[in-house]
Amino acid sequence: MLSDKLRIAVVTTFPPGTGSLNEYGFHFVNALRQKFDDVSEVLLYVDALPDGEAYPPFEPDSGIPTTIIPCWEFDALNNATRILKTARQTKPDMVLFNLQFATFGGKKISASLGLLTPALLQMWNIPTVVLLHNIMETVDLKSAGYAGNGIVERVLRCFGYIATKLLLRAELVALTIPKYVEILESKYKADNIVLAPHGSFDDTVHQPVFELPEGPMQIMTFGKFGTYKTVEPLIEAFEKLQRRPNADLELVIAGSDSPNAKGYLAGVAEQYKHVSNIRFTGYVAEEDVPIIFGEAAAVVFPYTSTTGSSGVLHQAGDYGKAVILPNIGDFAEVITEEGYTGEFFEPEDVDSLATAIANVIDNPDHRRAIGQQNFLASHGIPIAEIVDWYLLHMQTLLMQKPNRNGPPTVDRTQLA
Amino acid sequence: METIVVSLNDRIDAFNAPQLREVFEGLLSAGHVNFIVDLRDVKFLDSAGMAALVTLLKRARQSSGDVNLTWPTLEVSQRILKLTKFDRVFTIKNNIADFNVTVSKTVTFPQ
Repeated sequence: MLSDKLRIAVVTTFPPGTGSLNEYGFHFVNALRQKFDDVSEVLLYVDALPDGEAYPPFEPDSGIPTTIIPCWEFDALNNATRILKTARQTKPDMVLFNLQFATFGGKKISASLGLLTPALLQMWNIPTVVLLHNIMETVDLKSAGYAGNGIVERVLRCFGYIATKLLLRAELVALTIPKYVEILESKYKADNIVLAPHGSFDDTVHQPVFELPEGPMQIMTFGKFGTYKTVEPLIEAFEKLQRRPNADLELVIAGSDSPNAKGYLAGVAEQYKHVSNIRFTGYVAEEDVPIIFGEAAAVVFPYTSTTGSSGVLHQAGDYGKAVILPNIGDFAEVITEEGYTGEFFEPEDVDSLATAIANVIDNPDHRRAIGQQNFLASHGIPIAEIVDWYLLHMQTLLMQKPNRNGPPTVDRTQLA
Repeated sequence: METIVVSLNDRIDAFNAPQLREVFEGLLSAGHVNFIVDLRDVKFLDSAGMAALVTLLKRARQSSGDVNLTWPTLEVSQRILKLTKFDRVFTIKNNIADFNVTVSKTVTFPQ
């Protein structure tokens, strides 16, 4: 009897691992594990934790049986072959990659070699779908800390082109922003690129709470800092705002250093130790995320460049938060297309940033209106439904190709 | 086979997709499983509207039914179907008559 359910492997970072996209991986996998009608088993191909630490196993009754397989390491050079070996041993029906360009390494060679993995698996007839959170075409490589000069930038662009071509060897490459789909389709003449929106992480919140906790009004920024997310202008804008009469404010810098900027936040803390009411939270555990966002009056995006749709923006939307965003390139267009809104500032312009923050925190109705629109944009599609989009595409793809191990594993009359 | 036509007009986006979902849910709860969603007069369709259609498709197929679409007339409304590649998942034709089915009921949204 043919099985109509899929065994799906997901290559991702995953908490307590702290690599980029770990939170997206967490929510995506949790949603996938509830798809009892479509999925029989989930295999997590995750990066090994430091010091041989083990991933906590899933509770047996919390969803579809899931096996965690640490089979790659950040910055290792042999991740592609290790993942291939794991896939050949475990034989999933489909391998989904949760990726950005630096998922497999902070160094150019390790990052590039890791990106060969989907193409390598395809060569071994293991079907792959890639969820790519950013595209090289829209990244300011210099600001993002990847290219120090024009020559390096040109070389990286060349590598980026090749890496994207290789990623497009996957059965399907999913992007979260309509404009990005059009850019890649046009440049690479590919017809296997799909739009799959980011999706809302929290489908349990029905209405955001706009009331703020007692105490200082919290201005919050969230992320991995030190490359294109730098907090110096934000701290200086915060200083200006604190000098205003009756200012009762706290700046919350939530998150840790970017893998490419180790020690950055410690340096900033030292440099600005004279500024009061700044709280550095360090890495924010999953259970603390609702508190950090819930208490914030405004969420600031102190970016000098963007590398794609911001996961933090979607989180801010989940909690109905007003956001303060940099006026960079097509970022405004991109977020507007996703239904979001916010106050905009000129990147690295302290006065502009202070004004934008003031516009939000001084006007409760404006703050609420922005938060409400972002909430609607974020809750347009829960991530559980986005997972359905992937499953529908995977089932359609598997219908069209013979299974590598013999007969099809998908009952072709049951596509949803 | 009994087919319901849900005729959409105006914009279908994040602001009214929840109401559209309620209409679909009501029809599913009433036992309908075969649908043609007529998109010809849709002025704009975004990913939230697309998600409502995909959820209907999933629910209908779980009950051994199906959802077919007609192509929106406006290019701006076709865009999301093409970007999401759901034009490869749904059967889409130019007119309701092209499906050659018996329509038992037509529902219009927004009314």
